[in-house]
Amino acid sequence: MRDAIAAALDATALAGATYADARVVETAEERLTVRTGRVEGIESSDSLGIGIRVIADGAWGFGATADLSPDAIRATAREAVALARAAATTVTNPVRLAPVGAYRDTWIGPCEIDPFAIPTEDKLALLLAADEAMRAESAVRVSTASLSFLKVNKVFGSTEGSLIEQSYTEAQAGIVAYAIGDGEMLPRSYPNSHGGQAVQGGWESVLALDLPGNAPRVGEQAAALLSAAPCPAETTTVIIDGSQIALQVHESVGHPTELDRILGDEAAFAGTSFLGLTDLGTLRYGSEHVTVTADATVAGSLGSFGYDDEGVPAQRDHLVREGVLEGFQTSRESAPVIGRLSNGCMRADGWKRQPLVRMTTISLEPGTWGFDELVADTERGIYLETNNSWSIDDRRLNFQFACEIGWEIRDGKLGRMIKNPNYTGMTPEFWGACDAVCSREHWQVWGIPNCGKGEPMQVAHVAHGAAPARFRNVRVGVAR
Amino acid sequence: MRLPLEAVRELAERAIRVTPADAAEALVMSTTSALTRFAGNRIHQNMAETDTQLSIRAVLGTQTGVASTNRLDDDGLARCAAAAVEAARHAPEDPDFGGLPGPLPIVNTQRVNASTAAFDADRRAEAVRAMIEQSATRDQTAAGTVSTSDYAAAVANTGGVSVAMEGDDLRATVLSMGTRGGSGWASMVTNDAAAFSASALGSRAAGIAERAEDPIALDPGTYAVVLAPEAVADIVDFLGYLGFGAKPFSEGGSFLAESLGQRIVSEHISIYDDALSPGTIGLSFDFEGQPKRRTPLIEGGVAAGPVTDSYYARKLGMPNTGHALPAPNPYGPMPLNLEMAAGGTSEADMIASVDRGIYVTRFHYVNVEDPMKVVLTGMTRDGTFLIENGQLTRPVRNQRFTQGVLEALSHVGAVGSQRALFGPGEGAATLVPALLLERWEFTGQTG
Repeated sequence: MRDAIAAALDATALAGATYADARVVETAEERLTVRTGRVEGIESSDSLGIGIRVIADGAWGFGATADLSPDAIRATAREAVALARAAATTVTNPVRLAPVGAYRDTWIGPCEIDPFAIPTEDKLALLLAADEAMRAESAVRVSTASLSFLKVNKVFGSTEGSLIEQSYTEAQAGIVAYAIGDGEMLPRSYPNSHGGQAVQGGWESVLALDLPGNAPRVGEQAAALLSAAPCPAETTTVIIDGSQIALQVHESVGHPTELDRILGDEAAFAGTSFLGLTDLGTLRYGSEHVTVTADATVAGSLGSFGYDDEGVPAQRDHLVREGVLEGFQTSRESAPVIGRLSNGCMRADGWKRQPLVRMTTISLEPGTWGFDELVADTERGIYLETNNSWSIDDRRLNFQFACEIGWEIRDGKLGRMIKNPNYTGMTPEFWGACDAVCSREHWQVWGIPNCGKGEPMQVAHVAHGAAPARFRNVRVGVAR
Repeated sequence: MRLPLEAVRELAERAIRVTPADAAEALVMSTTSALTRFAGNRIHQNMAETDTQLSIRAVLGTQTGVASTNRLDDDGLARCAAAAVEAARHAPEDPDFGGLPGPLPIVNTQRVNASTAAFDADRRAEAVRAMIEQSATRDQTAAGTVSTSDYAAAVANTGGVSVAMEGDDLRATVLSMGTRGGSGWASMVTNDAAAFSASALGSRAAGIAERAEDPIALDPGTYAVVLAPEAVADIVDFLGYLGFGAKPFSEGGSFLAESLGQRIVSEHISIYDDALSPGTIGLSFDFEGQPKRRTPLIEGGVAAGPVTDSYYARKLGMPNTGHALPAPNPYGPMPLNLEMAAGGTSEADMIASVDRGIYVTRFHYVNVEDPMKVVLTGMTRDGTFLIENGQLTRPVRNQRFTQGVLEALSHVGAVGSQRALFGPGEGAATLVPALLLERWEFTGQTG
């Protein structure tokens, strides 16, 4: 890998690049899926290649190849420089990078039990047991249980002298029961929807979830949803569980505080941001209960690393402090626009993609409330759990989320179950209506391994720490 | 550069030969892609990538396992084959698996175009400059992409299937942003770069953006809508994703499940999947090497049936329509070349027939709230206009909708006479006309 990096950097210099970095990335994946009693897929894959990023004539170029022969690497490096020169015909302000140190280092993520070493029989036994337990309820006509594992080894080198080796393992596991009846299909997931919980870690993290132990409850709740009350259409108080708060943070704080979006670089695809550069330090993003951090040092989080894909060390930074906008997620190119150094948020989806500003672990910091105490303090409202659907406008203002399940809150107690609950709002107004966040005891990091951004599309593995939180005057039951 | 067609075919055949299983299938996809991305009236990303993916499905009785790799030397191939066999060995027997499909004649569709192959970095930069100029001369900012994809695909199995095909496509998008809240959008996908006029595409987006400046607020409510073809493509794609596949059909989770042969939408709506349609892009065979065929999904408003692959065709007792995705996958067979039949009304005549309604250029961030009723929520974007007395009068802020698509398609006022092709490129595209729908529920708007 080191030889490939050296060959790439030498070739870019010969071709006339003024800056270059190269990443060799090797991945191995394994996915197992059980659906309604059938083993639907046992799949493994691996990939190896190099991505070469250059600045020439003041513009970016990027080339990638799976062929690591010296000839192919040299040709790809020359192509990257040619691409930069073609781009330079439209560039009036040459790219300038914030300074960063030259690091020679190694970083390894946490993993106690290598999941690739666990026998397939053991993995299937766990999935089949959980899958069967969900279908003890006859209304559960479809059930799924899935595991996926990822191992990444990568080496980064730059013409500024960095040579960084990093490796980590990720594990994801989850179950879903679908109750189908009367023209409805209602999912209930554990521990989260959209594939379950994902972490940096090994087999130990799967065992800790106890999928089979939770499966009967998941099946029972799915079945009960078929006869649950519809979500009322009203404006009310909501308490939202940690996993849904994680996605709320992702969509309405994470994305809008990406500085490349604010500068317009993502305008044609994912969109821009309602935030402007002059909002920094002044804009009231939410109530005093809302403090949001970007932290790439959280142990076991999908958003953690030693160095980002520009060779910038992992950091912890504040985006919102006690309701006031305090920071953005930045890169070496964008950070100088706000007079700062990069806070290390550039990551690429494998070897054949160029790094973009991506979330790390973007967290709503915990408050002081106990969950039972918070419910008891709420006279009337709805408690919502587990995301089912998400949508937000291109400036990250108007959002609408649907959840899998809800419960009425009446006189400080959880009451009858609600199906298909949804809620909508506008970002600063919503966060401004947050009047309570539960304590660290209820706070956990939720992995989101499917964050899409960029063209060609890149999928990032990010995470969010969150605890249940309460919001006033929220519109629920849209078009219900 | 990607592998030549014969090399891709040979690699697939070599892979099944080295797989020690009762039966084996290999899928090879070799691709060179290039993308020039611009924003703020300058190119900020310019990239190219080449990769070849091999996927092997090993079969032991009715047990199957899959492994894939991009390491194509002898060792890499052997490791991939062994991993697929090892996975199959651990898979339980599957009584619904009837073996790999046999060979059938493939329509030899010409999808390689010299004009697209010649669209290199300089041509892409030239196109970007032409699009930017249309915005810059109107004091607007432009963003978008020009991308090309050049691919060769092959499928071989030990039952005698050996098919291969190459193709290319070009996709361009442009967003123009004005200074007073207006934006406009235009996009196109084609396999003939000679049909791409960058200045015309840029002019269309810039013209919409000019007209969209100073948008007004609008009360949420139910409005008649004229959906431009790109907005129609979004909702047709969701119908395909949620309902037209044999897997949700088989599980009872599709709107087709209980309604075959019944009227489910207006008689004016007919939807097919047709990878052989002139002007579309993609493969003429599926990822099991079976011929794709024109498949009716909704005809004259009546539910006609799902698309299938070999597994679901056998399980459901239906014909194999040739819509397998690479195995295994969570979706089952899927339509990748959806098209809606054209009607006889021009977009201008649709607008002229509306007393009060909304014109939608495109949607943004659409997602599912109810899969069986196909209730979707999302935003309008880049050109939303009020229609008053048969004319586009004022731009309106981006609107949020929450709407059951089947219910909306039951109240069709008119179907457009002109169709356009949309999609992400790389083999998938949707061919649709504009639609006039009598009722569409807007539930909010952005600030």
